[in-house]
Amino acid sequence: MAKALTFNMRLLAHHELQGFGGIGEGMALQSTRGGRRILWLAHEGAPKNFTGVDVTDPRAPRVIVQTDLPHAKVRSNSLDVTGDVMAVAYQTSAVGMKPAGFDLFDISHPEQPKRISHFDASGAHSRGAHQVWFVDGEFVHMSCGADDFQPRHPEDDQIYRIVDVRDPARPVEAGRWWLPGTREGDAAPAPARLDPRIATGYRVHNTNVFPQRPDRAYVGYIDGGAVILDIADKARPKVVGMWNHSPPFNGFTHTVLPLFGRELLVVSDECVRDDGIDWPRLVWVVDGRNERNPVPISTFPAPPVEAFIKRGGRFGAHNLHENQPGPTSFRSEQIIIGTFFNAGVRAYDIANPYQPQEIAYYVPEAPKLSRAGAIQLNDVYVDEKRVVYTVDRHAGGLYVLELNA
Amino acid sequence: MKRDPLAGRIPIILITGFLGSGKTTLLGKLLRHPGMDRAAVVINELGDVAIDHLLVATSSEQMTLLGNGCLCCTVRTDLQETLREMFIRRRAGEVIDFDRVFVETTGLADPVPVLHSFQSDGLLGAQYRLDGVVTVVDAVNGMGQLDTMPEAVKQAAVADRIVLSKTDIAGDVSELLSRLKTLNPFVSITKAIQGEIDPALLVNLSPGSEKALPAELSRWLGDGNTYLGKKLRGNHDAAIHTFSLRFEHPFTWDGLNAALQTLTALRGPDLLRVKGIVNVEGESGPVILQAAQHVIHPPVTLEAWRDADRSTRIVFITRNIARESVESLFVAVGALEKQKS
Repeated sequence: MAKALTFNMRLLAHHELQGFGGIGEGMALQSTRGGRRILWLAHEGAPKNFTGVDVTDPRAPRVIVQTDLPHAKVRSNSLDVTGDVMAVAYQTSAVGMKPAGFDLFDISHPEQPKRISHFDASGAHSRGAHQVWFVDGEFVHMSCGADDFQPRHPEDDQIYRIVDVRDPARPVEAGRWWLPGTREGDAAPAPARLDPRIATGYRVHNTNVFPQRPDRAYVGYIDGGAVILDIADKARPKVVGMWNHSPPFNGFTHTVLPLFGRELLVVSDECVRDDGIDWPRLVWVVDGRNERNPVPISTFPAPPVEAFIKRGGRFGAHNLHENQPGPTSFRSEQIIIGTFFNAGVRAYDIANPYQPQEIAYYVPEAPKLSRAGAIQLNDVYVDEKRVVYTVDRHAGGLYVLELNA
Repeated sequence: MKRDPLAGRIPIILITGFLGSGKTTLLGKLLRHPGMDRAAVVINELGDVAIDHLLVATSSEQMTLLGNGCLCCTVRTDLQETLREMFIRRRAGEVIDFDRVFVETTGLADPVPVLHSFQSDGLLGAQYRLDGVVTVVDAVNGMGQLDTMPEAVKQAAVADRIVLSKTDIAGDVSELLSRLKTLNPFVSITKAIQGEIDPALLVNLSPGSEKALPAELSRWLGDGNTYLGKKLRGNHDAAIHTFSLRFEHPFTWDGLNAALQTLTALRGPDLLRVKGIVNVEGESGPVILQAAQHVIHPPVTLEAWRDADRSTRIVFITRNIARESVESLFVAVGALEKQKS
């Protein structure tokens, strides 16, 4: 495709991250004691682990550190930061490999991240952690396999795990939950698989827990839909409510974002196939007044399908900015911002939740050397000044935008 | 955090002007101007502006991209339809990401209904906002047109900016200037010879963000220009009344609503244009008020008051409604009770 498409977003800066511009879905913005702002990015795949970018001046981002993985069959993909501590996920390409789990780093000196500890989740049936959520400094909530968890189906290996890191040198598991029927030996029957052309498994993706409701975990369970868990007792999470649009839809529930003040949930799918094979993958607005009975009320108006579906790579929903509780995060119960792969980053106004409106977008031009032939925006983080940081999955690196809406 | 009610909408600038006023020359020059990249221009007839040699790409019979990056569109059926289609094509990446739209109205057109047409159309209201009205007045024939054509008077009266054309061949324009200033004491007047004008002068006519600064609000209301109007004597265009009311005490929403509803219900057709900033009790900043005839645009509250002057200022451009009538109406509905105490 030719030039960038813009509406109410302005490009402030673009950084190719020293030739390693493929970023996963871990983005966090640290405010250092010295007053600098460091954006931490987890790479989508080897050879790089994570990159720290000084964005104190968002118009002039500067890479200050970029680290390597121990080998090419592991990826970090996800990270999160609380204060000066960063959790970084490790997922291996096959079961039984290491490192699988997560590391904690001391990033009080951002140029020299120091590893504090490693939480080992490797095992005969585990590929480790795909996603970590760490916003309170006390617990890591993650999608992760376990040595003692044997799934009935190999695609159901990553479950919801809670790890107590109050002593960061000695992380210990606090609790776990999986969809009944997915573990070998469960009394419940195994869940019916979706159509094999689009099925991706019953495992956990995002695991969001917010200070407003520390007793709730909002879990995207991929083909298992959205799950709300009561985690008042972390050792024994209990199901409060579930909602699954599939079938007849195409599965892959990714993020469940609660808007507490409005009793709504914004639920995103993830597109995982190129050229529209798994279309539609959408963002849903769900009425959450009754936690036991979430009811979908609208979807975000999709970008013009015919304009994007064959543009190259994936086209559909993926990550949302998640209203992180930290001091550097944009928080809104009205404006929701997400990435849509080749349709770029898009902002929606859900003042009327029955009729979401698209209010801004930015679709970068195809990055040089991108194997998709189009942009594949993967994740987004928005700061408290409405500066939008978004990343390409394969080659384009970091795009810094100003939201003017 | 919430959405900025103004910043996210694409500004529309209406360009009006009587037949032969030089509007086409102005548009022709504007279409060639290097500062017009990312602008879209909606014109009535492509043939009029002779741009065939500038065309670089045609995405449809109606929409063409010019060499300087400007999107030129012609109206086939109606303006609303054209603006809707432009937005849809923009979103699909089929036309440039235009960030402002200049709309040519036909020479004979009454601009007032166009002013409120955006408000009655859901998609247009959500994606576009009226930035302002630019009226081209012919320095040679303007006086005669104002004498004989009521639409020409209306066009000048509702303008946020007047472009005076043909001043190079017009001789003394002081009489015309005085008349325009009397007719519309709040307007800024710019001269253009052979249509040469900086497009920057034709945009940002009204506040474009909830963070608008006092200077932008003043410019929009034309506060700084009023002294001229007061000095002048003899109004040729007695039917048109242009005046500004100032209220020192805040309004309540109920009081303001009552006044505006009564005014539009009783005298809607004669309210050519109302624009103002209003101090409403309980609001964080000034409330932007716009109305044309019977249609009041949804009021927009700005983020904060940014200077010491917190008075309400409303400009009225009316046909046959005197200042005193509007004032007494505000009193009658109780909106001004506090002002008197």
